[in-house]
Amino acid sequence: MASQAQTAAPAVRKKTTGRQRNSMHDGFLRHKNFRWMKIATVLSITCLVSYFLVDVQPRHNGGSWYGYTLGTIGALLILWLTCLGLRKRAITPGGWSLKAWTSAHVYLGLSLIVIGTLHTGFQLGWNVHTLAWSLMMIVIISGIVGIYFYATLPDNLSSNRADSDGAVTEKMMIEQLRSLDRQLHDAGQPLDPSQAALVQASLEQDPFAGNFIQRITNSYSGCETRAAIAELRRMRAYQPRMGDDPLDKVDGLLQRKESTLARLRKHLQIKALLQVWLYVHVPMTFALLAALSAHIFSVFFYW
Amino acid sequence: MMFIVRQVALKADGSEIVRQTEVAGEEIFIGRNASNGVHLPDLAVNPVHAKMVRRGGELIVTAESAQPFDVDGRSVESTTIDVARGAELRFGGHIIALGTEGDAITLTVRRVEAVSDSAEDKDEAAIYSLKGLLPGKRMSAWGFALLVLIACLAWPVYTWSSYKDLAYKEKISRPAGFHADTMWSSGKLSLAHKTLKNDCQSCHVDAFVSVRDNACMTCHQKDAGPHAPMARQLDARGDPTGFAAFTRFVAASFNKPAGRCVECHTEHEGAGAMEPTQQRFCAECHDGMDTRLTDTKLGNAADFGKAHPQFQAAVLVRPLVGDDAKAPRKRISLDKRPKENNGLKFPHDMHLSKTNGVAQMGRRLSAKYGFGDALECKDCHEPDKNNVGFVEVDMEKSCAMCHSLAFDKIGDTYRTLRHGQPEQVKADLRAFYRSTPPARPINLGSLARQRPGVVNSRRTAADYARAVNFRGGRADQAIRQVFSRGGACYDCHVVVPPSGSGRLDFRIAPVAQTSRYMEKGWFTHDAHDKEECTSCHLAEKSSDASDLLLPGIKDCRTCHVGETGASLIKVKKPVESTCAMCHDYHADKGAPWLLREQDKKKKRPEITASMAHPGGAAARLRR
Repeated sequence: MASQAQTAAPAVRKKTTGRQRNSMHDGFLRHKNFRWMKIATVLSITCLVSYFLVDVQPRHNGGSWYGYTLGTIGALLILWLTCLGLRKRAITPGGWSLKAWTSAHVYLGLSLIVIGTLHTGFQLGWNVHTLAWSLMMIVIISGIVGIYFYATLPDNLSSNRADSDGAVTEKMMIEQLRSLDRQLHDAGQPLDPSQAALVQASLEQDPFAGNFIQRITNSYSGCETRAAIAELRRMRAYQPRMGDDPLDKVDGLLQRKESTLARLRKHLQIKALLQVWLYVHVPMTFALLAALSAHIFSVFFYW
Repeated sequence: MMFIVRQVALKADGSEIVRQTEVAGEEIFIGRNASNGVHLPDLAVNPVHAKMVRRGGELIVTAESAQPFDVDGRSVESTTIDVARGAELRFGGHIIALGTEGDAITLTVRRVEAVSDSAEDKDEAAIYSLKGLLPGKRMSAWGFALLVLIACLAWPVYTWSSYKDLAYKEKISRPAGFHADTMWSSGKLSLAHKTLKNDCQSCHVDAFVSVRDNACMTCHQKDAGPHAPMARQLDARGDPTGFAAFTRFVAASFNKPAGRCVECHTEHEGAGAMEPTQQRFCAECHDGMDTRLTDTKLGNAADFGKAHPQFQAAVLVRPLVGDDAKAPRKRISLDKRPKENNGLKFPHDMHLSKTNGVAQMGRRLSAKYGFGDALECKDCHEPDKNNVGFVEVDMEKSCAMCHSLAFDKIGDTYRTLRHGQPEQVKADLRAFYRSTPPARPINLGSLARQRPGVVNSRRTAADYARAVNFRGGRADQAIRQVFSRGGACYDCHVVVPPSGSGRLDFRIAPVAQTSRYMEKGWFTHDAHDKEECTSCHLAEKSSDASDLLLPGIKDCRTCHVGETGASLIKVKKPVESTCAMCHDYHADKGAPWLLREQDKKKKRPEITASMAHPGGAAARLRR
């Protein structure tokens, strides 16, 4: 799942300076020189202008010929936009560019704000029709958030993983932890039971534990490694330095573990942000499809 | 005595390495320190965790500190084990299996827990994702979708089906409380329908069938008068062309027939009052209607300022005795200068003159009746309660101020003939002549002896005797006089002559005063009270009661222009007048809906059909 999202996350044009300019790769946002942005803009402006030109009596609403037209366009658009989920799973050759499709998904999805809202005639209320509109807006806004994350976060992800020895992969991160844990375990052998218990607590804590809030805010108050460092330092603060104290080694290892954990947790936070909008976008899309069905059904039922 | 300690370690390929050490003696220590006989490199184990002592066939294990250990899954601090039966001890992440081998006791040590949590097997695809931290996308997608479908689709349909039987019942509505189909309401109902907001099914009766007129008529049987048969209306509207034809086609294919109430009365557009009908909706049919509805008697109308036919007054052909509402009326265009037979003789010009005898008489009576220098309209014509039209002129109140019917004076009291009762008039006249003697001549002497030759005195007595004798017969003459030219009745009324010579069965022709000539449109004098009467009604120039003093459309157009300001002449202060100012689609006798709404806003009484012209279209007959 994680690696899938990793590859699905489209690469955003790297910030480059001076003559070192890489124009080989176009992201889905600037695909074909913003072709779909232009199309969506024309569509939106057409809708806006016609909204003011068409005289609907007594006021604009979804039930006029103009309202039905916008509603039909909007509903078909929603169905097509939903199909991105199918399209991205279908590996097809040739001109069926997923990038073009994604670009169209983004820009036509944005134009749906105009189409859908004009369809309402700004008559909103506590009803199934406004529910469908609200869900549509939630889906669109979560999509905007997703695009924002996709545009800004991958840079952070890379810089967080960068090391003096190059980029650290996810596999390497966990291997680093394992190695540190083994060393800690060995180094801890001479410790007395209370000290050993602190190290053991650090070893036993799942580095991937933590609830959603902790992960998205990158704040882990119950970190045993940090607690072990603090407590062991407190314990030996007034102990004479004998030179061969096993705690010295343990302390060094715990610090290395802590910094490794910090990087891992930052990595998890960024990945969570890259994924979390989809947890809104996708379920709300299906809720929207249901609300849309109820909306259309109700209109014809109470015709 | 001996303990054999076997440390089992796993190689990377999964195979086992066993290292065996032998410890002689009766006791052995277990702990993390390397000096222990059983050395467990485990941070969860104390440096010297437990002591194991052999006593014959038994093995006593005791914790060296307060930290317990497990024996066969139970946590203890000390235990005695039957060597022959063996046991499994657990210290931290290590298991020690006890057994015997000859005389020696074997302790097989295995690490069963990974050194740390991170050392355990991890599903890397899962741990780096949000899996497990948030409800799955798939599950919540189905969950939300199902929730919406049940709440917003299934539930309302269920509600609808449970109250289906209440359709077309005006008095019965659904019980109070929440009904799920109100979720489907696309907007607030208009003010008039706000009580129906909880009762969707009062209009939306059948599933997938658009709102039909019979639902409207459940409540509006009384107040939604028909405009014209729908088939004729659709003919009058003509077949739509171009885009309108397309929308009509789409509407028809989606089971929305044309000509339903809701086409004009759109709902769920917000909690306001309905807008007055726009001129273009009327003009849709009435503009050039004669080309589509060739047999229509109505003139084409599209705009009051530019395209509206001359008014057609409902003129009384002749008044009837009894129910004047049934008197024959004919709608005649004012362009044809129609005359009306109302049974009266009344020259308006004479009565409004400022110089003639009428004016002079008015001046004389001004102290009594408050007349001005000459008579004015208001001296006789009294507005009705709502100031819309005028009450009928009452003879006793208005005419009799001057036209006295007095015929006798007794003391200071005048006896008058009874107006409206010709037979009574005749009887009163007869009674007068029967009960009163002729005036006694002053020279009528007594019955005393007279001197011979006084002829005149005798002649006077004879004349008087004859006069007394014929006194009763004078009544016939008086009756003839009062009904004939120069008589009191004849001045104002059409008199039907007697049936034969010598007979006295004079009759008065029926009289009617029309209070409303424009039955298809509305007019109120109240809105025009800044105008002089005579600026519209040319009464000063009318010498005959049959003149219809109604202003034509030309006069109205000096102020009133079309809805959009269109006019044929230049108007200084134009009053933009939409059709709805005078006409209603569902017309009754009352004020049009537009004006009633204005009255409502001004907190004035709305003029409904029963309030307007209480006497009906024609005034009550005054005989």
